Amino acid sequence: MRTRPIRAGRHHIALHHLREAPGVPLLLLHGLGGSSVDWDVRPEAWPGPVFAMDFPGHGESAWLAGGGYYPELLASDADVALASIGGGFVAGAGVGAWVALLLAGTRPDEAAGALLLPGPGLHGLPTPDVDDAARGSDAALASFEGSRDAPRGTDPMVAMLEKDVRPIDYATAFAARARRVVLTSSPEPAPPWWAAIRSLATVDQTAAAARDAVSLAAAVFRPAELPTDAPRG
Amino acid sequence: MSAASLSYPGAAAPERSRWLDSFGLRLRVHEWGDPEATPVVLIHGMFDHARTFDVLAPLLAEHYRVVAMDARGHGDSDWAESYPWIVDVFAIVQLLRSNGRPSHLVGHSKGGGQSVDAAVRAPDDVLRLVDIDGFGPPPEGFRPDGDGVPQRTQPEILGDFFDWRRHASDRRGWRTYPTLDELAKRRRQQNPRLSLEWLRYFTEHGAKETNDGFTWKSDPHTVRGYGPWRPEWIGPGWAPLRVPLLALTGTEPDTWGPIPEEVIEERLAHVAHVERARVDGTGHFVHLEKPVETARVLLDWLGDGR
Repeated sequence: MRTRPIRAGRHHIALHHLREAPGVPLLLLHGLGGSSVDWDVRPEAWPGPVFAMDFPGHGESAWLAGGGYYPELLASDADVALASIGGGFVAGAGVGAWVALLLAGTRPDEAAGALLLPGPGLHGLPTPDVDDAARGSDAALASFEGSRDAPRGTDPMVAMLEKDVRPIDYATAFAARARRVVLTSSPEPAPPWWAAIRSLATVDQTAAAARDAVSLAAAVFRPAELPTDAPRG
Repeated sequence: MSAASLSYPGAAAPERSRWLDSFGLRLRVHEWGDPEATPVVLIHGMFDHARTFDVLAPLLAEHYRVVAMDARGHGDSDWAESYPWIVDVFAIVQLLRSNGRPSHLVGHSKGGGQSVDAAVRAPDDVLRLVDIDGFGPPPEGFRPDGDGVPQRTQPEILGDFFDWRRHASDRRGWRTYPTLDELAKRRRQQNPRLSLEWLRYFTEHGAKETNDGFTWKSDPHTVRGYGPWRPEWIGPGWAPLRVPLLALTGTEPDTWGPIPEEVIEERLAHVAHVERARVDGTGHFVHLEKPVETARVLLDWLGDGR
C-alpha cells in the first residue's frame, strides 16, 4: 500500500492507495474517530484502483490548527482527494457517508455515485441544539481541550462533528443533485436526513448483503459495465 | 513593521498584554484598568482587532478591568485552519474563564452575536451582556454588492467553497498598499464617518508591512466559514439566555446594516431580559464613531463597577 500526502487548504491529508489497477477509482471515507485502517475490505473486489483517505484530525492526516472541524470542510478535503485520483465512486461510513452525500451532490461530474454506510457520526442534529447550548459547554470544552498534545491519533476536537446540523432540506438538495446515491440498511432509527432522502429518484437502497464495503460498492455500482472513460472528472 | 508610533486624542495603549491558549492557537489579549476590578470583556467584529478599542477601553477602565481579545485570525492572534462560528464562541468562553471571576461581556457585530452565544453557554461566567449591532444578517443575507444576485442553491454554494479550497493554499493574501495612509483610506470606504486621523491610528495596529507594502494582519480565510446555518435560527438559539442583554444600535444606514427594525425585534423577542439603546448619529460601528457616548451608555447599563 502506498500513502501520499495531499495538500488541502493549508494542511495535509493522507491518501492511501489500497489497490493499484486500471479502471474507475473508488474512494473510501471512514467514520468519526476512525481512520483508513478501519476498513475490513478486499480491495481486489473492485475492478479498478481503490483509495482510502484519512480525514483531518484522524489517522495519518494533520490536525487542524485551532480545531475547526465541520463536515463541509471534510468534504472539501475529500473533493481535493477525488480530483487527485481523477474522479470516481465514493463509499462512506458514518460521518464519511454524510461527506460522501455532500461530495456527490456538489460534484456530480466527478463523483459517479455514492454508497452510504452506517457508522460513527452518521446522525448529526436536525436543528441547532438549543437545549445542549442551555446546559452549557463545559463538557464539550473539557473533552476538546484534553490531550491535544498527542502527536498522532484522533484530535479530540473532531467531536464537534457530532454536533453539526443536518436539516432535511439540506440533505435532499444534495441527494437530488447527485448522479446516484445508494443507501444501505441503517441502524434504527435512521437519522432524519437519511429517512428523508430515501424516497428521491436518484437514491437506491441495497440490502447490504456483501461482506465488505468494497465488495458492496462493486455489486451495486457494477463499474465494469461502465465505459472506461465515464466518470473521470 | 516598526513599532506603532501614531497617537490619537483619547486613545491609550493597553496597560498589560497576555496570551490565551485556545485549541493550540495563541490569542492576543490586552487589558486596561485596575486588575482587581470587575472585568469587562470587549469582543470586536469581522476584520477588526482589539486595538480598535483604544479609545473606548480607557473610558471604561476608570471603573473596570477592561479585557479585549484579538479573535482567531485577527490582529496579533494566530491564524486557524478554518473558522467555524462555534469555535470563536468557545474562545470567548475560555477568555471569560481566564479572568478568574464573572465578567461583563460586550461584543460588536460578529463579536456581538458570538458574545450572546457565549453567554447562553456560560451563564455563570457573564454578569451583564451588551450586543452592539450584532443581530445577524437579514433573512435574505447581507448583499453589500447590491440586489439582483441570483439565489444559489446549497450544492452550488458548496461548489464555490470547494473551488476556493482547492486553490486556497496558493492564493495571494489581501491587496497591499504603498503607504499606511492608503490602507486607512481603503478602510474609510467602510467607515465614511470616521476621521482619517482616527482611521490611521487603529489601522496601524491592524496592519503589517510586507516587501510589497502595507496590508491587513487578518487572515483572508476568516470569511470562508461554511455550513447549513440559517438566519432564522438566531432568535431561537438565544431563547435560553439567562443573562440581561442590552441591544445597542446606531441610527444611520451603513455598509453592514442596520437590518430592518422588525427583524431585530423578532429575534430579540426570544430573549427574556432585554433592553434597547441607541447612539444617535452612528452607523454599524457605534463604538468607533462615538466612543464617549457609547461608554456613557455602557456604564449606565453595567453600573459603576465597584
